[in-house]
Amino acid sequence: MAVLTVAVTLFWRRARSRLEVLRAARPAARTDHPGVRARRELSHVLGQRKLFQKAAPGVMHAFIFWGFLVLLPTIVEAMLAAIDRHWTFPYLGHVAWFAFLQDLFATLVVVGVAIAFTIRKIQRPDRFRGSHMEEADRILLAILGIVTTLLLWNASRIALGFADHPAAAPVTDALSGLFGGGRGTEVAERVLVWSHLLIVLGFLTYLPRSKHLHIITAAPNVYLAKNQPLGYLEPLRIDLEGAETDVRLGASVATDLSRKQVLDLFSCTECGRCQEVCPAWNTGKALSPKLLIMDLRDQVAKEAPLITAGAAGIVELQPLVPNAVADQVVWDCVTCGACVRECPVDIEHVDTIVDLRRNLVMAESRFPNEAGAMLRGVESSENPWGQSASARTDWTASVEDIRVLQPGDPPPEILFWVGCAGAFDERAQRTTQSIARLLTAAGVDYAILGPRERCTGDPARRMGHEYLFQMLAEANVEILNGAGVTKIVASCAHCFNTLANEYPDYGGAYEVVHHTELLSALVAEGRLRPDPAGGRGSVTYHDACYLGRHNGRYDAPREVLRAAGAAAVEMPRHGERSFCCGAGGARMWMEETEGTRINDTRFAEAEATGAETVATACPYCFVMLDDAAKAKGSAVRVADVATLLAESTLAEPGG
Amino acid sequence: MAGAWVFAEITRDGPHPAAFELLAHARSFDDDPTAIALGQGATEAAAELGAHGAATVYACDDPVFAEHPGRPAAHVLAGLIEAEAPDVVLFAQTYDSRDVAGRLQGSIGSALMGNATSIADPRHARAEIFGGTKIVDVELAGPAPPLILLRPKSIAAEPTGGTARVVPLEADVPEDIRGARIVERHEESASGPRLEDAKVVLAGGRGLGGPDAFAMLDELASVIGGAAVGASRAAVDAGWVPYSYQIGQTGKTVKPDVYLAAGISGALQHVVGMKGAKRIVAINKDADAPLLAMADLGVVGDLFQVLPALTEEIRRRKGS
Repeated sequence: MAVLTVAVTLFWRRARSRLEVLRAARPAARTDHPGVRARRELSHVLGQRKLFQKAAPGVMHAFIFWGFLVLLPTIVEAMLAAIDRHWTFPYLGHVAWFAFLQDLFATLVVVGVAIAFTIRKIQRPDRFRGSHMEEADRILLAILGIVTTLLLWNASRIALGFADHPAAAPVTDALSGLFGGGRGTEVAERVLVWSHLLIVLGFLTYLPRSKHLHIITAAPNVYLAKNQPLGYLEPLRIDLEGAETDVRLGASVATDLSRKQVLDLFSCTECGRCQEVCPAWNTGKALSPKLLIMDLRDQVAKEAPLITAGAAGIVELQPLVPNAVADQVVWDCVTCGACVRECPVDIEHVDTIVDLRRNLVMAESRFPNEAGAMLRGVESSENPWGQSASARTDWTASVEDIRVLQPGDPPPEILFWVGCAGAFDERAQRTTQSIARLLTAAGVDYAILGPRERCTGDPARRMGHEYLFQMLAEANVEILNGAGVTKIVASCAHCFNTLANEYPDYGGAYEVVHHTELLSALVAEGRLRPDPAGGRGSVTYHDACYLGRHNGRYDAPREVLRAAGAAAVEMPRHGERSFCCGAGGARMWMEETEGTRINDTRFAEAEATGAETVATACPYCFVMLDDAAKAKGSAVRVADVATLLAESTLAEPGG
Repeated sequence: MAGAWVFAEITRDGPHPAAFELLAHARSFDDDPTAIALGQGATEAAAELGAHGAATVYACDDPVFAEHPGRPAAHVLAGLIEAEAPDVVLFAQTYDSRDVAGRLQGSIGSALMGNATSIADPRHARAEIFGGTKIVDVELAGPAPPLILLRPKSIAAEPTGGTARVVPLEADVPEDIRGARIVERHEESASGPRLEDAKVVLAGGRGLGGPDAFAMLDELASVIGGAAVGASRAAVDAGWVPYSYQIGQTGKTVKPDVYLAAGISGALQHVVGMKGAKRIVAINKDADAPLLAMADLGVVGDLFQVLPALTEEIRRRKGS
């Protein structure tokens, strides 16, 4: 009894310090749509869906996790039986089916631990680089200890004739042969049950300070995950005219993090699945999403006494950047979301990185020099390149009958949101012209905003300049609502994401489709009739992060390519697991000096498929991959899906 | 002794130009500001400071201020402030003055405001944030005097033709605050005019095919005289020339009288860095290169023939 009290007190004292840190964090408004959250809990936690994204580690974890769920009553039973050896659960302790389940799942846990050791000691995947390997070994040994003592204890009870259904538990029954059944076995039974109890309690006290805390934090963390598409960022309202004296500009110190963000830190098991898929880490940059979370966690843990000491402690807190995380790490991120998608416990690395950026940009004005031109361009000319608004319609010179929506005009059925790249970049203009010609050929009633269109604010927002984004979002929403726009087609994946997911926060709710979706529908309706005999050769499609992973649009671009007569080949990393082109997260506007270039890496992967053409669906991807192709002097062509469709459909595709 | 004080930074070439701007700021609410000049040449500088409106100049010519960064100046200022109790002290937002102001704030504990663009009175100043889209009026609380760092070029210096009363100062700087010593000052010297300032810019791109071809541009630049050589991002990414050559969105912005682009197709990323050029000359093999369309003079041809011929022709005309 004394042992139990000591262990539980220790556990509680250590866990409470973590809990108080959570309580001191900013509240996270993440309790809406409980049904959606509950379903995610069922699939991600009980169903282990994201763990099964990797076969062997998935099976390993599921065996151990399901095993412990089933064994939980047995462990409680063992604790009580340590005091009174004849204590059993009234019902569960006497039925054959539960004896069978215990036996089966205890065995599966042992198998799971064996798989885990095989992965860690023999396979040694690179994703564990930087993780605490000895700690993992200790945890696995503790798990093994808990389950083997349990199995052997049950076996000794069979030998002593305490069990009702020995035949239902074949493994335990076989193990019972180790025991003679005499006085020695009676002693062994006591020793085993107490060893079991002590390991369980020891593990309990160890838990709150270890990465294994996820057995408590993972379920709430999954519950609090974002319901919106991955590409959605929570707004940070900045009201400079308001009376607020304390304007929070992103995350500077530990207490600026939200409860979800802190829970993220306590949920990380250092499994490194995020690191394995990260474009920055894979091309030799400083950023690893795993190390970022670990470093933030370590600083929060170190500062826990200050965080919970109230105002006096909070002034002593050290900025997270550069104390926990170097500036460069924060800027290496392309916000592709591969880490978030991969994470089994739904850690949201990207949102935290953007929050750190917000503080660096808005409060400290500290960001890579070369990105300043983009911010200045967006601020003064409302586009990242600082071009004049009147040049937004230059691309229409070679395309007939483009309606530019004037104030007071009746709204078109669909507004074509051209985007800054589509309007100003000479290469992206070709895509814009292809889309316009296809829409005209299909008889779609559409118009563009022309000089009244502004940057959606995406590059500024991903860069951390929330205030600039907010100004642009409000201005764009005012124009769109004033024009009576209800449906928008966007050709840029970033514009698409911002318009569809983020503008509703600013009063702009529209039906937003990507051009590949609209074109695919027009083909399906027979309004566009591509000539499949035209033959576009073999084409590999590069999924744009903000279209695919961030918004789940994988099929439409592929359908368009098929209709255009392309023989599709897939890259090893495609669909949900596509690899970024390197331009997201405002990286388009920064220099990439460390390691190898992300666009070169991705282009090499595309080229290795043997495809003649790399198809893109976002102007950023187009420019990045086309640059890589030119730098390499490759014969592989890079073109937008729309351009390929136009070539198969129109007599004079142009562009 | 009340009123506005100006910390007039003394450099090897006399008072820092920003000191005159600070006096203009100070004179917007105090007709007789005081300047503090510390360092070799301070007494000499007093005349110029007086000519820009300083009524009084505290001057100390001790070399200690040039030998040790920040701390001696902060120490002397702190002593002077305690004795004379000024209403406000203005600093220029330069590296050296920021150093002094930060250290001074640490010892006297009054409010320190950075990045101000104007000042209304000793307790009220103004700053611009978010790239100048928002103006913030700041009231400074705390013990006197507030310390305000003003951005250089936020006001024009105005000569008054006055004369200052010079008060010589003794530099009483104890040994223990002479900690760090300035060993050397090094200014990055660049050969030729800076890319941003050159009247003629010659830029090379992917079409040059390799680092060696940049020698053709260097030669042309030296023949023209006063021309600078730049590059497109593609040439920099390929590692042919260093990043300091890069012209474009994520590099330098140039506005020369003549911009010659050799083997640059004219991606938007590059164009935004040179579109302000008065005259654009483009040489490219590909007649469809976008830069040819925006050039005043476009040459469709092999730059390996065009460039040497151009160099030869300029040399010939200059020689004759």
